[in-house]
Amino acid sequence: MNSFIESLKDEITDADSAVFKKKWPSWIAGILIAILALLLFLWSAPWGIAGGYRNWGDWILYYIIPGYKQPDTTPWLNTLSLSNFGIFAGAMASAMMSRQFKLRPAPPIEYAKGIFGGILMGTGAALAGGCNVGAFYTAIGIFSMGGYAMMIGLGIGAFIGLKLLLLEMEYLPQKPAVSKTTVSDQKSFDWSLIQRIFGGLIFLAGIAAFYIYSSREQAQLGGILFFGMLIGLIMHRSRFCFVRAFREPFMTGDSEMVRAVALSLIIYGCGSAVIKWAYIQPPNMGVYHPFWIGSLIGGLIFGIGMLLAGGCASSTLWRSGEGHTKLMATLVTFSVTHSAVQTWLDASGFKEILGKGLFMPDIISWQFTMPVFILIMLSWIVIADWNEKTEKLVIF
Amino acid sequence: MNTIKPDEILDAKGLSCPMPLLKTKKALKGMDSGQILEVLGTDPGSKNDIPDFCKKGGNELLGMEDHPDGYTRYFIKKG
Repeated sequence: MNSFIESLKDEITDADSAVFKKKWPSWIAGILIAILALLLFLWSAPWGIAGGYRNWGDWILYYIIPGYKQPDTTPWLNTLSLSNFGIFAGAMASAMMSRQFKLRPAPPIEYAKGIFGGILMGTGAALAGGCNVGAFYTAIGIFSMGGYAMMIGLGIGAFIGLKLLLLEMEYLPQKPAVSKTTVSDQKSFDWSLIQRIFGGLIFLAGIAAFYIYSSREQAQLGGILFFGMLIGLIMHRSRFCFVRAFREPFMTGDSEMVRAVALSLIIYGCGSAVIKWAYIQPPNMGVYHPFWIGSLIGGLIFGIGMLLAGGCASSTLWRSGEGHTKLMATLVTFSVTHSAVQTWLDASGFKEILGKGLFMPDIISWQFTMPVFILIMLSWIVIADWNEKTEKLVIF
Repeated sequence: MNTIKPDEILDAKGLSCPMPLLKTKKALKGMDSGQILEVLGTDPGSKNDIPDFCKKGGNELLGMEDHPDGYTRYFIKKG
């Protein structure tokens, strides 16, 4: 009996180490994220992140600026805000379970970059009708043409953003960041075990929240929060980062993240084709990205911002959950700017120039859409792999 | 690992992705083949990024170790 318990204990320790100690491979995370994005699509609507930020920004500005339009939904009833809460909480729980949660200060220049990056991302997301998730990942996956324009914009923006980081290293004085003795003087307190208990409690609270929502006949909202938590866990454990997919080809040549994102998109796109072609959800659902000016220009501005901040909409969330104070600053300026620029766009009529949502199957039929979509994704992988070997696109 | 004598030390504490890797790459560029760079970093992502970068970029990671003060030391030999 004892040996049975012993072996069970070993088994649990092994599982724990596989989940919370070893880094998950990016491609597995890509597959899991595609599955969760499809579940969200079936459960409610296509996944996005910036819309949730906007809801937060709307509320912040509503309380600060007299006369600012009152938001329609509260953050705990807004679908995109809820999946964001989920991602943040899931990543924080995961970081705690992995003993990686810590409030991480950064040097002043990093905060400046984080704040400015957030402003650029908020502006870009307003122009493009979403962020790297809503207007790129989801847009391409649900066959909204804006997604491709955004992809090109993000690529150009990442290139410019990397140039800016190189200029920064060249011309700005580089100082070491934090004092050395911040951690060692609190050694008497074993934070790591308590940290794990907190992490577990957050997961349990997420599950409890689902039951509370469903008891109030809001199971859909509870489910969104729960799916968000799983996405947060996956993204944190695999350090899933869309920025890498656009930056790394210019920086180190590494193509790992391009493969993970493209693979994820192929799975998501095929699943969404089943959902849309079979009319399980309306074919035009979510197709509103302003093709092509809004998506391209928005993507470009967003791309520069994500390089400066060191996080896109999704990795800003999970990195904040891990305790990076720089990205918490990004989160605030992203939210507020997105809300402000969106309000201005809605009021100014400038929106008309940006373009309108185009559904790829409406233009070239489903029969051509699928091979074209898969071919574009495969070409992205092939070019990135070729670049990893030859470093032809690496500028540094 | 304490016997390794680095030729240069790069302090990337407090910086988050991608700055530690970017600075590592820049520091290595200015060094000669066979010289050793020690990087100090606090970003959890670096624990995967720096070994990956060394493997793919033809440099050798001699080792990494967590310092009791909460940062990690990486020793890289330029290839």
